[in-house]
Amino acid sequence: MVHEAATVAPPEPIAPGPVARLFQSSLPGIALEIGQSPIDEVVTVRRDDFARVMETAKNDERLALDYLRCLSGVDWLTDLETVYHLYSFKHGHSIAIKVRFPLADAHIPSVSHLWETANWHERETQELFGIIFDGHPDPRPLLTEEGLGYYIMRKSHPLADIEEWQEDYLKTIEEAKAQLAAASGVAAPVDEKALKIQLAQQKAAVIKKARDEARAKGLSPEDEKAAVQEAIKKFEEEHAAGQAGAPAAVPARPVDERAAKIQLAQQKAALITKTRNEARTRGVSPDEERQIVAEALKKFSEEQEQTAAAPQAAPAVTPASPAAPAAPMDRAAKIQLAQQKAALITKAREEARAKGLSPEEERQAVSEALKKFAEEQK
Amino acid sequence: MAIETRVPHESDLETIDINVNVGPQHPATHGVFRMVLTVDGELVVDLDPVIGYMHRGNEKLPENCDYRQVIGYHDRTDYLAQFNTEHCYVEAVEKLAGIKAPERAEYIRVILAEMNRIASHLMLFGAFGTDIGLFGTSFMYAFRDRETIQDLFEEVTGERMMYNYFRPGGVAWDLPDNFRQRCTQVLDSVERGVEQLDGLMMENEVVLARCRGLSPVTPEDAIKWGLSGPMLRATGLRHDIRRAEPYSIYDRLQFDVPTGKQGDVYDKLVVRLEEMHQSARIVRQALETMPEGPIMAEGLKRVLRVPAGEVYMRVESPRGEYGVYLVSQGSDKPWRHKVRGASFSNLSALRAMSVGNFVSDVIIILGSIDIVLCEVDR
Repeated sequence: MVHEAATVAPPEPIAPGPVARLFQSSLPGIALEIGQSPIDEVVTVRRDDFARVMETAKNDERLALDYLRCLSGVDWLTDLETVYHLYSFKHGHSIAIKVRFPLADAHIPSVSHLWETANWHERETQELFGIIFDGHPDPRPLLTEEGLGYYIMRKSHPLADIEEWQEDYLKTIEEAKAQLAAASGVAAPVDEKALKIQLAQQKAAVIKKARDEARAKGLSPEDEKAAVQEAIKKFEEEHAAGQAGAPAAVPARPVDERAAKIQLAQQKAALITKTRNEARTRGVSPDEERQIVAEALKKFSEEQEQTAAAPQAAPAVTPASPAAPAAPMDRAAKIQLAQQKAALITKAREEARAKGLSPEEERQAVSEALKKFAEEQK
Repeated sequence: MAIETRVPHESDLETIDINVNVGPQHPATHGVFRMVLTVDGELVVDLDPVIGYMHRGNEKLPENCDYRQVIGYHDRTDYLAQFNTEHCYVEAVEKLAGIKAPERAEYIRVILAEMNRIASHLMLFGAFGTDIGLFGTSFMYAFRDRETIQDLFEEVTGERMMYNYFRPGGVAWDLPDNFRQRCTQVLDSVERGVEQLDGLMMENEVVLARCRGLSPVTPEDAIKWGLSGPMLRATGLRHDIRRAEPYSIYDRLQFDVPTGKQGDVYDKLVVRLEEMHQSARIVRQALETMPEGPIMAEGLKRVLRVPAGEVYMRVESPRGEYGVYLVSQGSDKPWRHKVRGASFSNLSALRAMSVGNFVSDVIIILGSIDIVLCEVDR
């Protein structure tokens, strides 16, 4: 069958469809409320008849609704409802059976003995809607934890108010930020695009004003143009004057914190190496050595704090301080050094070969030359 | 002196069943799923699935959303067959509201849904190979081809996973200009890949030894347990919602409904493999006959108010029957929004399918169900 979406709200009362008529003839004397959805026929039954109706739906030869596709609970505020969507593989027809009962007495016979798949569906509906399925073999909660105490799919358990945190909360944060910025005297980050738009609007207003004034005075088009030009010039000058004052208020650019930290760590490392080497040359015990290093570090950090405390002490870390290593070599210097070394190696090797030394001796000569070079560099 | 050596027989020993916990986080559980096995040696005597770890109110939240906002929640139920789930929901709204989507939109939906089916089955083959011990190989083959489909989807929707592309009344925007050519290219390469996967998996010694004859399911049991999709068809029952209750434009397309013989794990693979070819066949037909024209029904309001009523819409998703039960009270939000996940009902049969098998086989049985936990827990 092909479903057409044309009929949405059929007029009352609805003529029973073929499946509903089968129900009527199989269950004489039982009140069936016939409905229609865009796809399936819908039959609503009373709770007292429910067990019998489901039994018939499954076992009657003409109905043979052997497949439970879906079991849903619906909350109608004062009532609850369970909906069973059934399908017959034998006949290829389907139907929805609905049963309604009051919220205060939410009991319905289980159908898991008829359709085994109802087991999980009923467990889920029981925990989410608080509908008790009488005779269910395993009524533990399925999706939520045990002893939750409330039924999340009921309408009486609404979602948390979204606007509370999404709008009001965000607004409070913005306000607090603005207040903080005003108190600390640091200008809030400016939106450049908004500023530009503002500027353009101001300019447009100035032009319009100048033009209107010129027209009111009865000036010729040329004079009008000149007047407008003058007004723009004046506006721009004023704006530039306002701008010139602005940069002074901008706080000093923050120091690159990460680079500073790295530099500090390098200084500390160099200090530790130096102190340790000195201590070792003096031949102190490991314990003493450790103490000396700790003292040196303490002294170093004290010095650092003093420098930091000194107002606007020009470069916070002076390369000249005794603990600091040589200023990091720039790239050109490094390249130059490498080239010098390469030349040295080539020269030493050539000399060694000219002397007819063995490869091992040659290697030794080269390393000696390098060593000498390094000492010279120091 | 002769020492008496005697191997104790099992009957001489006192044995007890022990509980083994698998999951909730375990690579073989395909998501956050836990099961408690009771084992007698290697034999599973009981199995208790524990679900709900992904429960996040996916039925409750849409009841507080505009009808169009709900679409995104359907991407997040079955996240491997997003177009199929979206298709189900928008069809449900259209049926209830009496909207008719234009022809071209229907074709676009079917093309994308069928491509999605291929991508989803490829995912299964990749993951299943990992379960079975073909670590990596089948996964790489399957994902190579799945990736091309995802690229295609990305070109259409701008998203890799959560497409949010279908709308009640049509689709969000038209296909890219070269879609027909690109889709054919992707189909060609994917079908070649599927054949390679066929050669790699279906005659594989490991697959044959471990899947053939494992946990056979009869059609009667399948109906009783509420199985659907490839799980149901593997038992030999030729039932496909696209054929039995055709929706959209499936009644004009030629395709076969593949079935298995004995409902074992191997048959489930065979069915899915053939389904990929059938989906490709559907897409090729739809590409050929897809008309030009509008992609959105005319005269839709910005706020969609759906007349009071109810509908249970179901589609054939890669995992089986995906259903949406919508109840409207005439407002702009659904009153009840129930999702019938195919994996939910399929997984509920895990205990019945696993008891009596070995522990290592339970992993394969679980893998063959092709569960998506987000759809199970909602």
